[in-house]
Order: sequence, then C-alpha cells, then structure tokens
Amino acid sequence: MDVFFLGLSLPFYLTAAVSLVVYVTVARDRPRRIALTFLSIALVLHGLAIGLRAAAVGTVVVNSVHDELSLLAWLIVAAYLALQVRYRLGVVGALVSPLAFLLTLSAYLVHSGTESLPSNLRNAWLPAHVAPAFLGYAIFAVAFCISLIYLLQERRLKSRRRGGVLQGLPSLETLDELNYRVVAWGFALFTMGIITGSLLAKVTWGAFWTWEPKQILSVLAWLLYAVLLQTRSIGWRGRRAARLTIAGFALLVISFLGLNLLFPGRHGGTFG
Amino acid sequence: MEHDIVIVGLNHVTAPVAVREQVALADDALADANRRLRAIHGIDEAAIVSTCNRVELVTCAHDGDGAVERVRQFMQTHLAKQPLDIAPYLYTHRGRQAVRHLFRVASSLDSMVVGEPQILGQLKDFYARAVEVGVTGAVLNRCFHKAFSVAKRIRTETEIASRAVSVSSAAVELATKIFDRLQDKTALLIGAGKMGELAARHLMAGGVGDMMVTNRTFDHAVELAREFKATPVPFDHFPRYLHLADIVIGSTAATSFILTPPLIQEALRERKGRPMFCIDLSVPRNFDPRVNELDNVYVYDIDDLGGVAEDNRDARAREAEKAERIVEEEVETFLRWLSHLDVVPTIVALRDKAEAIRRGELEKTLRQLKDVSPREREALESLTAAIVNKILHAPIACLKRQDRETGTFDLDAIRRLFRLEESGDA
Repeated sequence: MDVFFLGLSLPFYLTAAVSLVVYVTVARDRPRRIALTFLSIALVLHGLAIGLRAAAVGTVVVNSVHDELSLLAWLIVAAYLALQVRYRLGVVGALVSPLAFLLTLSAYLVHSGTESLPSNLRNAWLPAHVAPAFLGYAIFAVAFCISLIYLLQERRLKSRRRGGVLQGLPSLETLDELNYRVVAWGFALFTMGIITGSLLAKVTWGAFWTWEPKQILSVLAWLLYAVLLQTRSIGWRGRRAARLTIAGFALLVISFLGLNLLFPGRHGGTFG
Repeated sequence: MEHDIVIVGLNHVTAPVAVREQVALADDALADANRRLRAIHGIDEAAIVSTCNRVELVTCAHDGDGAVERVRQFMQTHLAKQPLDIAPYLYTHRGRQAVRHLFRVASSLDSMVVGEPQILGQLKDFYARAVEVGVTGAVLNRCFHKAFSVAKRIRTETEIASRAVSVSSAAVELATKIFDRLQDKTALLIGAGKMGELAARHLMAGGVGDMMVTNRTFDHAVELAREFKATPVPFDHFPRYLHLADIVIGSTAATSFILTPPLIQEALRERKGRPMFCIDLSVPRNFDPRVNELDNVYVYDIDDLGGVAEDNRDARAREAEKAERIVEEEVETFLRWLSHLDVVPTIVALRDKAEAIRRGELEKTLRQLKDVSPREREALESLTAAIVNKILHAPIACLKRQDRETGTFDLDAIRRLFRLEESGDA
C-alpha cells in the first residue's frame, strides 16, 4: 500500500519541478504558485507512504536503501517548503524539486518489503539519532542548492558578459545570508544526530566510536561546516562559503550513497 | 447614429518642447477647457489629457469630419497661448486608430521612455478630472477603463517596464543583483564627472542610504555633498574611508588608476569580506581592472554598463512587440462592443432574441397539446406574436428616438438588460 502512495506522489513532484523550471525561465508568478501546491500535495502523499511503512514496523524505518532515499527526499521537500514560507525563492525550488523527484523515483524503483529491526536497535536512541541526522542531511541539501545558485549568479556578475545576468535570481547578499542561516540550522541538527548516534552506538555496540567509514566521513563533513560557520566573522563569505557548503555536501553524499553501495557496514542496510 | 472616437493631440515626437509648453494646460484651466470641448457642436463626450510630454483631446463625436475640424480649431484658439500655428504639430486619430492610440499611451508604448510607469497614473488623474465635470459618457468611460486594464495586462504579461535601459539605471539594477537592500548601504563617489553624478543620483533614488563624496578640489566635493546630503571626504584621505563603501563610483579625470588591488584588498579585510560594487564611469578608466579578480568585488566599467543597458533595450523592444499584439487584441474587443452601440443592430438583436424565445416556447406548448387544428395553431401564433410586439414596442421606440438625439446610455442598458451580447451576436 505504501508504494502506491509513493508512486502517486511522483507525478506531483514532476509537475512541480517542471513548473518551477518554467518559473525561472519566464519569471512569472503563476507557475511558482502552481508548483508549490503540487509540491505540498506530493509531500502529503509521500508522507502517507512513509507513515504506513513506519506503522508496519512500529518505528522509523531506515534499514534499506529505499527507506533512506524516500525519507531524505521527503525531508528535503519539507525543509524547502518551510523555508519558502519566509523567503520567496522559487529558484531554489527549481533545483530542490527535481532533486526530490529523482530521489523519490529511485526510492520507488528500489522499493523493497519491510524487514523487522534487530532487537538490539529497538530502543529510543534510534529515532533520536535518525530524525536529526536525516533532517540535517535534508537541510544541507537545500543549502547545497542555494550555494549552486549563488555560484551561478556570482560567475555571471563577475564575468560581465552581455546578457549575463539572470533576471529572476535573488541578490548575492540574499543568497549568502540565507545559505549561512540554513547551514547553521543543518549544523545544529547534524550535531545532535552525531551525538545521539554515538550514544546509540554505545548502547548497541558497546562503543561510542568504531572507526566506521560513515562515522569518519560524517565527522569530516561536520568539521567542514564548522569551519564555514566560524570563518564568516573573518570574511570567508560569498563564493568561499558557497564552495565549502558544496564540499561538505559532497562528503555527505559519498558517505550516504557511496558507502551503502561500496562498503556496506552497520550504517548500510545490514545493521550487524 | 455613429460613435466615432476622435483624438486630436500632439506629443514629444510631433512637437518640440517649445510648442508643448505653449499648449499645455494649467491645472486650474482644465475643468473649463473640458466643458468647452464638450460644448463643441458634434462632440458628445470629452476628456483632456495634458502632461509635459503630450496634450490629447479625447472625444466621442457623431459628426465625423466637421467635428474633427472644430476640435483642431479649438486646440488652436483655446489652448495655444501665443500666435503660434500648431497645425503642423497636430495629429488626428479616429475610430480604430484612436482607440489603439489611447491604449498605447496608457501602456506607455507611446512614451519617450517606453515602459515608464508614470503615464498610467497621469492618465487616470486626467480621466477622473473629466468625469468630475461630467463631460464623459458611456463610450469614453468604457474606452478609458479598457485602456487602464490593457495597461495593467501588459504590465503583468510582459516585462516591458522591468528593465533598466540607461547606464545609470543599469548600475542601480546591478546593485540590486549584488545587494539584498540598498537602504543600509553606503556609496562613495570619487570625482565630480557628469556620469558619476548621474549614477549617484540614480543610486540615491534607488534607495542607497548613505553617500560620501570626494574630489581633488575639496570645495567641489563639499558643494556636491551638500546637494546629495552626503559626507565630503578629503581626496588624500579617501582610502581610509574606502572600507565603509559598499558601492564605489569612479568619475575623475585621472590618467592613472586610483583604485588598485592592494587598496581594495585592505578595505575588504576591514569589511570582513562583505561585497563591494565598483562602478568605473571614467575614460580613461579609474579602477584597475584586476580589482575584479578579487573575491566579492565586482567591477563594472562604462562599456559593461552600456552593454547591460543595451541588452535590456533589446529585451524591452521584444517585450514591446508582445505588448503591441495585446493592444491589437483589446482594440478588437472594444470595437466589437462599440459597434453594438449602434441602434439598428441592437433593434435587430432584440427582435431576434424575442422571436427565438417565442418560437421555442410555442413549440414546447404545441408538443404538449395534441390534436391542435391548423386554425387553433394560427391563433396561438398570432397571440404570441402580438404579446412580443406589444412588449417590445416601448423599448424599440425608445431606441429609435435615441437615434435622433445623442447619448448612448439607454442603448447600452438595453443590451445589458436583455443580455443581447450572449445570444444576439452569434
């Protein structure tokens, strides 16, 4: 049943993505509003799919690639829509919604039945680890999109090429400040995720730190984001901040996907 | 009766300012001029528009050529202030052409700077003034309101007004691409060149909060600073203030670079990397182009800005084409409405509608009554026809009387009361 709702959300994601790309090219407000409606509907349908799976197992389910992708896509869209309430940034949506569509589509394609969790993971630390960590990922993904747009706009302004400036894009200052705030939120949640994660590790495996590739990469990314947030006061902003945001997200993508597929450890599917 | 919209006028294209200022109406003379224009024989409705770029006498006339000639004469005798023959500067638009002209004026397609937003407000004001003295009627009311809605439609459906088309406004446009808001930003104007002053003026109008002015001759700096409510800065000390400036405008006659990478680098350090927008409007250039290679600094010289402005002009021209198509479309709709205001088609439509209803209802009844003899059928026919004719007699007589008098209110009302647009047109 859950896969039915997930499938149902796909056309809504796609329509939203197309509308937002149209919005960026024609700079009219209507496609943006249509896209937001479709995105909200997709969010509800997709949320239903996740809820049904969670209900079947009785806790947050992230023990398969399908669940990870699905939850991540859902949180990215939720984070973007929450941001959209305060900032009217259709352009960011033009990157976020295709990303969400592709993630959800992949989740749909690798759909698998739910497996019950090993008993040693059935404790309160699991949701306390998974929820902030995934929300942190999702927010960093939105920051990644903002930074890409910053670099695009920055390059166009720098090059002074004729026909270079895109009309619909927000100002550099707006993007830079927004990026900083979004990264700060992501950082706070990600930090919580790491702390609760190490507590979870202590409870289930008996050690806070086990030198797992996932742990190492996550801490590296955490350090990168920490540097980004700290160096703003000495003038590392703008392009440099955008590049750090992108680098940090790249580390997370490697740890998130690459390790699941290449070096499956405790974080990737098997949960030994 | 005929409703011919006639516009006689002159504008920035047909008449030089020396002529326009002779004809332009003083504010207190407007009401009287409106009344006089309306009083001209053959003129049913009137509205005068008089801005610094145009004077337009918009009328609805029913006496074709004669009325046109009298309106032209009126403009010469009542508006031209000194013995000046304004005939060569006048244009006359009638019918479709006049409607199109009014729509284009409202949409700023006929403006000196195409897309400028003021004209619509001005037009609304002058229309309201004419309404105030009661010289407009059904045709002009509809025509003006349509013009306003066309202007609004063009504003939302095209980008005709959203691009900067001069070097100075391009500078402001770029500033808003770099900065989120200009209110808390400070500009530094170096030198007293004309272009620099113009750009500074545009930036202030664009909302820049604070301004510093520096010049080799300090007195000039003080003078200019007073005009801009800015802070004068001694030329030798300006690098000390550089870090306070978010926007730097260079406009000096210097032959060597006055802004160099080390200077800007120092300022950036103090600014903690907050972005700087450097606008170099001098030839030869004042700012070392290598400054642009620094992070968070954007240097634009006069050619770059000219390029942006030209791109925007091209874009605006493309948008104007789109706008012209919208105007054509709307002129068509308006003329269709106007043609309905003629009496004969209205009477025909009214009769057709009543006849269609009569026939429909009669058939329905006949189908229900079985065994109707031809005679009974004939009786029913003449009964219903008589009822319809009796009911329509009064409104049709009223319409025919209207034909001889002037005014269009009843005609419009009848069309609306009987919903003739919906069924009669097809």
